[in-house]
Amino acid sequence: MAGYFLLGPQRPVVNLATPFGAVDDGRSVAVVSAGWQDAEADIDDVHEIVKRPLVDLRLYQRAEAVLGSEARLREVYRERQDRLQEQQRLYRLRLRQSMLAARRLLRADGDPAILEPEQRHAISQQRALDRHHLQRISAIHGDADSAIADIRPPTLTEHIAEIADVLSGCVTVIITGGNVAVLLNRLRLFSLGPLLAQKNIIAWSAGAMVLADKVVLFHDNTPQGNRDAEVFDVGLGIVNDFVFLPDVKHRLDLSDKVRTALFCRRFAPATCLTLDSGSLLHYEGGHVAAAHGVRRLSRTGTLRRMRAR
Amino acid sequence: MNPALRKLVRKGAPGAAEVDNFVSNATFPLVDGTDVTFVYRGIGDAVYLRCWIAGLNTAQPLQRLEGTDLWAITIELPEKSRIEYKFEVVNGDQRELVLDPLNDVLAHDPFGANSVCQGYRYKRPVWTEQDDETRAGSLERIEVESKAFRERRDIQVYLPARFRKNRRYPLVVVHDGPDYLRFAALKTVLDNLIHRLEIPQMIVAMTQSPDRLTEYAGNDAHAKYLVNDVVPLMADKYPLIDEPHARGLMGASFGGVAALHAAWLHPGVFGRLLLQSGSFAFSDLGAHQRGPVFDPVVRFMNEFRKNPGLQAEKIYMCCGIYESLIYENRSLVPQLQAQGINIKFEEARDAHNWENWRDRLRNGLSWLFPGPVWMVYE
Repeated sequence: MAGYFLLGPQRPVVNLATPFGAVDDGRSVAVVSAGWQDAEADIDDVHEIVKRPLVDLRLYQRAEAVLGSEARLREVYRERQDRLQEQQRLYRLRLRQSMLAARRLLRADGDPAILEPEQRHAISQQRALDRHHLQRISAIHGDADSAIADIRPPTLTEHIAEIADVLSGCVTVIITGGNVAVLLNRLRLFSLGPLLAQKNIIAWSAGAMVLADKVVLFHDNTPQGNRDAEVFDVGLGIVNDFVFLPDVKHRLDLSDKVRTALFCRRFAPATCLTLDSGSLLHYEGGHVAAAHGVRRLSRTGTLRRMRAR
Repeated sequence: MNPALRKLVRKGAPGAAEVDNFVSNATFPLVDGTDVTFVYRGIGDAVYLRCWIAGLNTAQPLQRLEGTDLWAITIELPEKSRIEYKFEVVNGDQRELVLDPLNDVLAHDPFGANSVCQGYRYKRPVWTEQDDETRAGSLERIEVESKAFRERRDIQVYLPARFRKNRRYPLVVVHDGPDYLRFAALKTVLDNLIHRLEIPQMIVAMTQSPDRLTEYAGNDAHAKYLVNDVVPLMADKYPLIDEPHARGLMGASFGGVAALHAAWLHPGVFGRLLLQSGSFAFSDLGAHQRGPVFDPVVRFMNEFRKNPGLQAEKIYMCCGIYESLIYENRSLVPQLQAQGINIKFEEARDAHNWENWRDRLRNGLSWLFPGPVWMVYE
């Protein structure tokens, strides 16, 4: 049975070696570092830790080649990206207002008999908006996937076959952090979800985020002010019912209990899990087999230790 | 009177030991909300608080606390303010400007150092201080053969950590670059903001003029130097994104004038400007009152106000509200907006100094050159 190991940023604490020791079979290890974009090939640091032959899947580079040579595919891709961007823009307009209302209600004082139903309803409206957004995104992907299936671009088909061949010789795949949108985009282009699900996966930060059923972007401390967490895309759906939050130490304002509580309640029943540097979550057979340094956001806005279950 | 001082003198003049104890246990200046009390200990005929900020007299007398060698003055300072000051101690015919001996917080500039008063709720931003987790970029020195000035000049170049020749980077050219490095912690700020992904990895060219008051004052030769000497050399030596939106020009005080002037004279070269406390003096009628060194600045600004036509896409401007230039800076904003330029203007409770400019770098750089922080999870 494949095991999935999800880690926080590999800086300052490097703990990639710990899960690798548990799955190492002496064979080559595949690496997906498309999130690093044009620095994709800089995997020497990974090699130094795992000390096994690495097979660089070069998804970023392959995508550049495929999209460069397949004009029709490029057109479909561009159209999909335009639609996704517009969808995100419209969602963001609604999100801002609805989050503002929800936060105000959660901060309000008053008769619980009157206030609490309003708070619950505000959160359910937020969930409905997130759900609707995710459905719209899925529909856009569906349209693009159908169009791509119709085109059957030969270069893409060749690369998919080549990647499948390479992966057949590896039992473990490492997925690095980086730009989560680029990473997810490349994984989706080469239809890697089902193939990866059969492997042991060690993934950190953005790599962990894309394994969930939805990808949520967040950062409370951007220089131009607070932004509300956004549902960004459908993930690969390999580790479901979790929202992975890398580097919470730097990205979330945990002193604001209302904000944190709303984050938790908004995405329930999914569990929001922190992945700070040094943390490790082992997921296997549909359960959390072990968790070290991983915390979950609670309904009261505090962090609780995540335990195996 | 400040409560701590009042307590000290409540039973009459305190003894030397009591004063010793008081000065060694308090943090000076004494900040009590928005009341700030400056304290000097020593002998003299008179002591003045000297701070060069608009709105306050440049010399305000401290009052001696009877029976002691302590002198004090309380001023109102709005929260989050930061001001620089010295004491002027008068002994007979002698007047001496000294740093506050009771305050270790100093700010440096090309003319020396000043004591710093950090008002209520002012906090030095953490991203201006070295962070052990941050990967450090590097500095190297290159020489430019300037056709504009017919001489060789040095440029210090900042390269980000993990610089790769096969990637392309935005370029920011900084006037008074070495001063920004020394007095505004520019390298630390760049390292931190890049590490935090708040700005993209970038290359920064730091220039320094041997005669800034002339060359930065709307001087065509200097603009030519930037556009025809510095930028082409940088493009030749480093992998740059060769487009205006990825080319920034930055400066403070007269350096801000130089940046605005070069972008105006050579439209389409620099798409991003970062202008800090620009010395944008102008005259609507009659002569200006700022002295002869401003004559060429005023000529340029008057011309600019008549024919703005600037082609930068985004400009970040900031100015301290405790500096007289706030009026000129404020008046420039609507003019630039009328050109369709995307402007962000910020005012700070600070004056004309390097730490004011340091504290605004994050907002300015990240607005002009937004980093991938929202999308990248390393």
